[in-house]
Amino acid sequence: MTLDRRQWLAGAGAVAGLAMAPRIAFAAAETDRRLVVIMLRGAMDGLSAVPASGDPDYETARTGLAIPKPGAVGGGLALDTTFALNPALTHLAERYAAKEAIVFHAIASPYRDRSHFDGQNLLENGSTRPYGLADGWLNRALGDLPGPLKTGRSELGIALAPAMPLMLRGDAPVTSWSPSILPGPSADLVRRVSALYAATDPKLDSALEAAAQANAAADDMSGAGAGGDAFVTLMTAAAKFLSQPNGPCVAMVDSTGWDTHAGETGPYNVLTRNLIGLDAGIEALRTGLGPRWSQTAVLVMTEFGRTVAMNGTAGSDHGTASAAFLIGGAVAGGRVMADWPGLKPAYLYAGRDLTPTADLRQVAKAALRDHLGVEPAYIDRVVFPESASAKPFDGLFRTA
Amino acid sequence: MSLDEAAIAANRFGLGARPGDLAAIAGDPRGWLKAQLTPETALPAPMMRLPSTAAASGEFTKWLVSLGIGAGGDPGKLAALYRNGGKPADMSGAGGGAMAGASSGGGNMAAGAAQPLSVEQSYVKYFSAGYADAVQARFQTAVASERPFFERLSRFWANHFTVSAAKPEIITLAPVFERDVVRPHVTGLFAEMLLASCRHPAMLEYLDNYLSIGPNSPLAHNPQYLPKYLRDRMTGLNENLGRELLELHTLGVRSGYTQTDVTNLAKIITGWSLYGPNQARGNDLFHFVDFAHEPGPQTLLFKTYPDTGEAQGVAALVDLANHPATAHHLAAKLARHFIADDPPPAAVDRIAAAYSGSGGDLAKTAAAVVDSPEAWAPQAAKLKTPDEYLVSSARALGGLPLTGEQIVALLDRMGQRPYWPPGPDGWPDIQDGWIAADAVWKRLEWATALSQRLAAANMDPTTLAEASLGPGLTPATRQAIHAAESPAQGLAIFLVSSDFQRR
Repeated sequence: MTLDRRQWLAGAGAVAGLAMAPRIAFAAAETDRRLVVIMLRGAMDGLSAVPASGDPDYETARTGLAIPKPGAVGGGLALDTTFALNPALTHLAERYAAKEAIVFHAIASPYRDRSHFDGQNLLENGSTRPYGLADGWLNRALGDLPGPLKTGRSELGIALAPAMPLMLRGDAPVTSWSPSILPGPSADLVRRVSALYAATDPKLDSALEAAAQANAAADDMSGAGAGGDAFVTLMTAAAKFLSQPNGPCVAMVDSTGWDTHAGETGPYNVLTRNLIGLDAGIEALRTGLGPRWSQTAVLVMTEFGRTVAMNGTAGSDHGTASAAFLIGGAVAGGRVMADWPGLKPAYLYAGRDLTPTADLRQVAKAALRDHLGVEPAYIDRVVFPESASAKPFDGLFRTA
Repeated sequence: MSLDEAAIAANRFGLGARPGDLAAIAGDPRGWLKAQLTPETALPAPMMRLPSTAAASGEFTKWLVSLGIGAGGDPGKLAALYRNGGKPADMSGAGGGAMAGASSGGGNMAAGAAQPLSVEQSYVKYFSAGYADAVQARFQTAVASERPFFERLSRFWANHFTVSAAKPEIITLAPVFERDVVRPHVTGLFAEMLLASCRHPAMLEYLDNYLSIGPNSPLAHNPQYLPKYLRDRMTGLNENLGRELLELHTLGVRSGYTQTDVTNLAKIITGWSLYGPNQARGNDLFHFVDFAHEPGPQTLLFKTYPDTGEAQGVAALVDLANHPATAHHLAAKLARHFIADDPPPAAVDRIAAAYSGSGGDLAKTAAAVVDSPEAWAPQAAKLKTPDEYLVSSARALGGLPLTGEQIVALLDRMGQRPYWPPGPDGWPDIQDGWIAADAVWKRLEWATALSQRLAAANMDPTTLAEASLGPGLTPATRQAIHAAESPAQGLAIFLVSSDFQRR
């Protein structure tokens, strides 16, 4: 890193610098693509988020937890003859009707045990083992973005979180941001500390550099942290970062609290509140992105599903397959993709869970290949090694 | 005399040196650490401010009563109330009302949306002052402590047995859990801390075990013994605590146990439940409910435990505490905490041997960490957590009069809201968990705000840095402090330097 760059970062002219940085005119299709990955930590109950209302075994298998059929009081929002959306997901239903959302079901990562932490680690590192790789698949994917998408961006990805999630950790330049409450340090102090870190501590050095850039880009976000749902705040901020001319083109947003071992029943329960927040957050992103929404895809996934049957405490325990969503103006949507395994006891995984019939990597690989333009060979070799069995789905995105 | 070792003892094993500390402990830094491996003779004064476990447990009831939505003392009833958005109608239990509520799912959202918001606002209003006071008491204890190694170990074991206010009813219980479950056993037997954890309302509620009942227990066959409002909430097994006991508290994940072991341990500890605050005698709310216990022998890790009621669980937990995988799991965590993110295997093996050789004596185990040569490497390998960073800043400055609300806000922004870890695996203990751009920036903001506030105090930053870091103050940092444009700026540079942020 040159001294010039360091001064540019810390100086008061940072924002002006951004505006004056040379921009090379590429076709919109190549430079305006945006990908947002939302990680639902704790294991979303896919059978309540996306009830299989048309499966004759659904209500029995889910006694106590079943979402009523579309049309009934409190019923789901019909997607097709088999599937519905949880009634909390009203905006998502609109996106589905506008053919901008694909709903996946009976889908899971390659993980087949039931530890949240191992399950999340595997899903984020992109290998087939917990701790199988030390960095994240989304970061590795950024290492092979096509030139037009990469050019001019100092950071390729951003995590809307105070700490960097594993999925975005790695060698590719990424940053993070969350709302602030304290007055900022002076540019002079930042310059001095930056010089000290450069001489003594490379890890702190790169973190500070990234933070300075994110703050310069976020200058117009005053008040973003005030009030409202925390997830909506983060998604609103994500829209602003992704709208910066030379800002990141990939964002990752965490959503927590999906581990519904108890209290999954009754009006306005924990799961319902989570789904309302998720739905509102995605809508805030869509609104905030404006015309860029047409070039955007949002991938929503969780580490595993939950037991089909209600447990002893009006909730559900750790399971296997769940649902996932792919939403955005770039998505060729309006359909459910599921090789439905059924809910009869004999069809369940280990006698208790929804059986996985699709692999989350099939969606992620398609998004990287067809939306961001990452080379297929690189995806198979570097981003998702050991994923030969998980072929990317074809046709998930609109063709320009 | 070793100032080098004194600085390592105070900063790597302790919570940071206060002015004068390094000279005081330089005569025998290792002896200073080992002298702290004794039980507390008295609780630190700020800890006495916290309510008793029974009172803390009762606060959730009082809050619900204050809303006019429930007067019972039963925690199951209370949790049910809260999770239903506090609607009294849900408590009638008439004609399978709870089931009807379940299947209406989000259908009543529009009707329910306004009321739960007011429940949540009421929650914040009711609990914030006590929460902030508990946070301040913990901070004051740490900043003033003459036994900072003991305090670090208390934090370590509280994080090992995580209970989190991310679950609303835990907010008053997490601080008293650390005081009443962790502190008494920091230098005692791990098995006793494990048993105390499994009997405390914080853990039993956080991981749901108080509601879990054996599928073949008398209660499962005779639900009429349950109050109506609990019949739909307590119908069978919940394996949450059983799983985390194996995965997090004892053996460690991927150590060879199976889903059957998880289920069987969950059955073994069915009936480990709670008295309501109004029923309890004294401060112990633990209640073994015989008629909720799964009858019959259970097999765990190839050993069969006969059904001896509560003693079945005690036997299983003691065996888990003494298992070699537990020794290795705990040793690796201790070495990761005090030595390096990737702990040296030789040190882990020695610490595990000390644990096993002493029957799980945590004082002897901690002494083995002190005796590890790897722990005394001159290069600081660990990044301080936000909590360690804030406490050590206050100690370096000779104390800071922060309010509880200020501490909460600061630690929240640095990514570590007190008593609020995201999941049962607790806070991360590797630098990648804390060194994200935003977190590093928040530390710089804090150092800036603090140094501006202290500008009038006429502190010499170089003197403070020398007193805090001793020989750990590198020439580069010393030069940067010296070259600062003002003492305040120099103080900020000291506080954000790598020398101070690492330990």
